[in-house]
Amino acid sequence: MNKIAPDDLWGRLEPLLLRVERPSRYLGGEWNAPRVDLAGTSVALAYPDVYELGTSNLGLAILQEVVNDIDGACAERVYSPWVDMEAEMRSVGVPLFSLETHRPVASFDIFGISIPHELTYTNILNLIDLAGLPLRAADRTDGPLVVGGGCGTANPEPLAEFFDLFALGEGEEAIGSLVELVRRGKEEGWSRDRMLAEASGLPGFYRPSDYEVVYNDDDTIREISPVADAHASVRKNVVDLDRWLYPKRPIVALCEAVHDRINVELFRGCTRGCRFCQAGMIYRPVRERSAGEIALMVDRLAESTGHDEVSLCSLSSTDYTRIDEVAERVAEICRERGMIMSLPSLRMDGMSAGLAARLDKGGRGGLTFAPEAATERLRHAINKPITEQEMADAILNAVRAGRRRVKLYFMIGLPTETDEDVAEISKLVFRLRDVVKKEGLPPPSFNVSVSTFVPKPHTPFQWSGQERMEDVGRKQDVLKSTLRARSVNLSWHDREMSAVEGLLSRGDRRLGGVIERAWSDGARFDSWSEQFDLERWQRALQAERLDPDFYLYRERGEHEVLPWDHLDFGLDKRFLFQEYERAASGEISNDCRDGSCLDCGVCPNIDTEVILKGNWG
Amino acid sequence: MVSVPEPLRLRVQLTKTGMARYLSHAEFSRALMFAARRSRLPLAYAGEHRARMKLSLSPPIPIGVTSECELVDFELTGYVSPVEAQRALDEAFSGGIQVVRCRLMGSGEKPVGKLIDTARYLVMIPAGAGSREDWMRAVEEFKDKESVEFERVQPRRTRVVDLRPGVHELEVNGEGTGEAEEGSTTLLMTLDDGTAGTIKPWEVIEVIAGFAGVPRDSWELALVHRNGLFVRRSDKLVSPMELGRRKPAGSRRGGRSY
Repeated sequence: MNKIAPDDLWGRLEPLLLRVERPSRYLGGEWNAPRVDLAGTSVALAYPDVYELGTSNLGLAILQEVVNDIDGACAERVYSPWVDMEAEMRSVGVPLFSLETHRPVASFDIFGISIPHELTYTNILNLIDLAGLPLRAADRTDGPLVVGGGCGTANPEPLAEFFDLFALGEGEEAIGSLVELVRRGKEEGWSRDRMLAEASGLPGFYRPSDYEVVYNDDDTIREISPVADAHASVRKNVVDLDRWLYPKRPIVALCEAVHDRINVELFRGCTRGCRFCQAGMIYRPVRERSAGEIALMVDRLAESTGHDEVSLCSLSSTDYTRIDEVAERVAEICRERGMIMSLPSLRMDGMSAGLAARLDKGGRGGLTFAPEAATERLRHAINKPITEQEMADAILNAVRAGRRRVKLYFMIGLPTETDEDVAEISKLVFRLRDVVKKEGLPPPSFNVSVSTFVPKPHTPFQWSGQERMEDVGRKQDVLKSTLRARSVNLSWHDREMSAVEGLLSRGDRRLGGVIERAWSDGARFDSWSEQFDLERWQRALQAERLDPDFYLYRERGEHEVLPWDHLDFGLDKRFLFQEYERAASGEISNDCRDGSCLDCGVCPNIDTEVILKGNWG
Repeated sequence: MVSVPEPLRLRVQLTKTGMARYLSHAEFSRALMFAARRSRLPLAYAGEHRARMKLSLSPPIPIGVTSECELVDFELTGYVSPVEAQRALDEAFSGGIQVVRCRLMGSGEKPVGKLIDTARYLVMIPAGAGSREDWMRAVEEFKDKESVEFERVQPRRTRVVDLRPGVHELEVNGEGTGEAEEGSTTLLMTLDDGTAGTIKPWEVIEVIAGFAGVPRDSWELALVHRNGLFVRRSDKLVSPMELGRRKPAGSRRGGRSY
């Protein structure tokens, strides 16, 4: 157990627990939960959603361990209280607390908040408010430095006014340097302003107030210029995975978490170059972890947690240089320990029979593939040129290996998409089912998940307009009426949620007011369908006199200044636009793993290189 | 580890106190399975691939109620001494769950989940929530009744049940013993729980609090503790940790005692 902190809130918190659904969300004290050193530099690491989602976040788990391994520093977890708990906390005045020692978040030195996606923005504001801090950075004169991180930093502009700092890119080294800086600042008695000024000079740290945005009369941006002596842009951080063998002691959640398993990263980055994929762009270049380390980590983590499933994760696991060998080695460890291995993010063109056989046979669960689009033309446009033959082979391999369920991910609303492309989704699913039947095998059940494409910053489609909500509805109806069979289960994304996601995804700083209004109007947990309410957002937009169509449906011009242009993820804007043009003409671009460089700009800009370590070294 | 002619079952008695009292039944059983895996006991699984651990749990305990007598049976594939099992398990548990004792038995015996029919609770009513006399009067009123109707609200259905036949023992305990707070009242109740049906301690508290005229926001603060789980054998309550102990070894199937 942790020592009792002087400002421990447990005594006031405990009486609330029996009034809420799932008290286990607020307990802490799990297996492998760290003992924290109360005296040092303290970091509260928050995930803006409930416990069972937050504990599954690998990034925060890694950062927490990294900080707790620093002498004289400690990191504790914070999650969004569910709406029932929030009401209880507000009614008795219990502020946002950390899970390890139940201390108020306001008493920490650093308040790090992960920004996983746009529909958590109101939760982020709620975290800051529940902590008892003024919402806007400009109004904060004391209390912790509020720092954002995670993939949401690709365009954090709508949140710019609420954060003191953002950390761009990978956080392992960055968080260490920030902790060290804060330690020094406290020792030397720096003011908060001095602390922030110094922190904004650390590699990868972006202080929004260091930049001024000037708009044109047509609402587009004229320029984003650094004030005083800030750099013209801020560049993301990257790390070598073999130097950061985390996590080492993952916390075992008290309840079933969404990813209830050991996660070992095979590699970071992906250079397949799918044009819709933000992760594939902003996490470049590919850096593999060596195979020996992967096997070692699997064994150690199984020992230290008691989990019965291990996931070898990455953005595209079948691309790992020697995936067959590493899967074989890990499968062996799993056999010894009575565990199963799963490989999320499988590409259908990399799914060999051998690989299929090594995955959890028959048992629980199916396999998930993402063809994304049903016609070859559209797959070329988005640069995911899998052939139908490859899809059929992947599914046959899966069925032969005993799988009875196959999940297929598609998107609608992709640039250049026609109604025929959408109608083809149903036909493709039935053709794939027939291929299995023809081989005399029992056809699996198909879970077809159709999401709505939302253009994302730092991708070739960042210039593209998003599909109109009513068109999305029409296309969803086409699918609902054609994809009907006992063995096929269709699910789709709420198009209203996709609209809010799109609004914020490529938004600028003016949307800060909209987020704040939606939040004060009661918006919380916008990614939970039972909590989401489009009208709150519509009211907020109206009150701020902003036109959603401007953000959502407008195609941007080649030379338009985009709200995130000063945030440097290494990619040349020229490369992205060239890819956008190639999408229109259906030209595919190759992966640079095999040596052919497409000049995306990342390696020279960040002074790094592709690291392919898939050997046993 | 030596192989034995008969499959084995490890029966473990556990506490559920501290933070663990807030775990739901599913979360508690998850904690047991993870700890069992970490302890590297020779556990039996059903099915071939990542199969389900073979275990049986005592009847669910309401969230917030503490316990010194939760029970779990693990099926084993090999021998492990109860002392060694207790050591290994104790190292694998965190916060609020501790092993009280372990016992080995043949797997021919009924598992705890199919055995237990009665639970005993201690209820500590805080000072200010009615006087000892109020509660004594209410308890007598309850016991005098032939039937006590209670509206049981469950997620999918609400129905009226008769609590009276499932309440076997109901007493106001001796005044302020042990650590009890000055002015507090302790109730002892033995209720149907498990194979015979389930009466929840809060249901009984709600009814007698009504008789005693104590408002909800006072009795809600009571601390409830489960201190015994039993099998009813004629008029005796027998703990599954003791069950069959005094029988001659030869009378049981397998003919071997551990």
